[in-house]
Amino acid sequence: MTRPDPTTSVLTGSAGTPVLEVDDLHVEFRTRSGVVNAVNGISYSLAEGQTLAILGESGSGKSVSAQAIMGILDSPPAVITGGGILFEGRDLLTQSPEEQRKVRGPGISMIFQDALSSLNPVYSVGYQIGEMFRAHRGTSKRDAKKHAVELMDRVRIPGAASRVDDFPHQFSGGMRQRVMIAMAIALDPRVLIADEPTTALDVTVQAQVMDLLKDLQRDTGMGLVLITHDLGVVNEVADDVAVMYAGRIVERGTVDDVFGNPAHPYTEGLMNSVPQVEAKGGRLQPIVGQPPNLAAIPSGCPFHPRCARRRLGADAAPGRECATDVPPLRLVVPGREAACHYSEEVLGV
Amino acid sequence: MTEQQQMDLRRDEVEAGAQTGLASPSVDVTSGRQNSLWGDAWRDLRRNPLFWIGAVLGLSFLLMALVPQLFARGADPRDCDLSNSNQKPSAEHWFGFDQQGCDYLANVVHGARNSLIIGLLAVAVVLVLGVVVGAIAGFYGRWLDGLLSRLTDIFYALPLILGALVVLRSGILGRGVVAVAIALAAFGWMTAMRLVRSQVIAVKSSDYVAAARAMGASNRRILVRHILPNAVAPVLVYTTITIGVLIAAEATLTFLGVGLQRPAISWGLQIENGQSLLRTAPHLVLFPSLVLTLTVMAFIMMGDALRDALDPRQRA
Repeated sequence: MTRPDPTTSVLTGSAGTPVLEVDDLHVEFRTRSGVVNAVNGISYSLAEGQTLAILGESGSGKSVSAQAIMGILDSPPAVITGGGILFEGRDLLTQSPEEQRKVRGPGISMIFQDALSSLNPVYSVGYQIGEMFRAHRGTSKRDAKKHAVELMDRVRIPGAASRVDDFPHQFSGGMRQRVMIAMAIALDPRVLIADEPTTALDVTVQAQVMDLLKDLQRDTGMGLVLITHDLGVVNEVADDVAVMYAGRIVERGTVDDVFGNPAHPYTEGLMNSVPQVEAKGGRLQPIVGQPPNLAAIPSGCPFHPRCARRRLGADAAPGRECATDVPPLRLVVPGREAACHYSEEVLGV
Repeated sequence: MTEQQQMDLRRDEVEAGAQTGLASPSVDVTSGRQNSLWGDAWRDLRRNPLFWIGAVLGLSFLLMALVPQLFARGADPRDCDLSNSNQKPSAEHWFGFDQQGCDYLANVVHGARNSLIIGLLAVAVVLVLGVVVGAIAGFYGRWLDGLLSRLTDIFYALPLILGALVVLRSGILGRGVVAVAIALAAFGWMTAMRLVRSQVIAVKSSDYVAAARAMGASNRRILVRHILPNAVAPVLVYTTITIGVLIAAEATLTFLGVGLQRPAISWGLQIENGQSLLRTAPHLVLFPSLVLTLTVMAFIMMGDALRDALDPRQRA
């Protein structure tokens, strides 16, 4: 597995030293019917104040990689089989569970897709936000509640002081996600991982929640990893984007570059499948075929069975046969990495 | 949808409206304090006649156990006159007299204390054993779960009465109130354990537990603060019903001669004593049986009502 030299990575250049680095992470699920390779060597780094979107369809391994970082993989069957997760330069995977626990919450925090099921139904929201202070800092109950009200104000929950004792089911979807965000940012984490934070919300509320996240990021300078399949959300808030397919990163660069001119046929397919206002009434262009079965990932480039640009047999350049040679993630043009043998062609350079 | 949610929704819409330039009506966000799971349950309970019958009966028996003098109409259960032996109930002595010529009402009333102490004590032990063993098995899983579950199965194989009978006859614990309670609990905790275990397993995989873990909560905190409070409702229902069952089991053991011994006053002893005189003095069996049945019923009714109240599917 070739890992990009950090000095040439587009993702560390702009905003300073990396606070979170994922290094050649491998996760597999050992099930009775075989091994499912969910994450196959992904690497990225995140600087303070940077927003990295991880874009991919269901089963591309984007959520699993986040769960690995947070230590909440269902294990068994999930096993981290290789790689490292470096927070401020220290590998979490080599630390004791107790040391890891001290990072999760104050250092790296996470918000989830479904805020209702992510909040404990038997406690008031104030209690749950305050728990962050009690669990990690030993704050007294009264002070924790005071902090909770401040946080609820900060995430713009109206009437925070009067709603601090309400229970999760008494809030609407957008408000619940705000409660979840308040919990996640309670201890001023340096990295916030948002796993599809707006997928369960309707469009107007989506925009508010994303605005809130952006504002909070600007205030605190935290790094934000945004896991999503929503191209629109990526376009609005992310600086950089990493596109995942079959447990690998297939392309990454700045959002403008990647969306403006994809270097990987899969990204290209994604862009083509977006409904266009101008093409109203026309047919959408889907990517043909099905997402790969992670228990039997195609040989060579995992995307080749669905790829319109694939080159097989004699058509292929030596060592760049799509069905046999695995394309490494490589620097294609400055600021852009892609895992395709023929990226230059896709880019048109 | 609750009022508060509607208010939130309106608020969401207002914010959206402000952003999109649509009209934004003013919203008054009041502090409409609402009820939790237990609040809802209590509201349901209050409307359930079954609960009130059970609660009134249960409280009367509790009062009877605490201050039996209130109910005994001035008679002392130990103040006996053989000339009154086996007299039928009368206006003066509502429950008549027993074979020794003691006032039977006083005796039956004084029997409540032992029955309730044994029932409550045994259920407390059942609850502690069931919750601790069940939570450990369900939370840690793997070999520990296997071990504890098989252990539970072994206890399941022994019937409650038979197991308690063997323990009490062995004489290790003696024959006192505490001994009977422990013997009953030792063979009665398994269902509670299974209930807790299955609930813990179900709750363990919920998103809020993953969220708590992601936020750096320790195992102990997750188990005690997040899993158990969501897992205890069915167990509470079960234990309420079990109080009744254990009181009946105590009477059975005593009736069989292995439970409480004279001079203790107990409904089981009274029934055992009266059975040989069933034809000549049926009231000697009738009254202790009646109060025993009512006590057991009281707890079962409260348990049933509690189950209905805690089950959201039963809610209109």
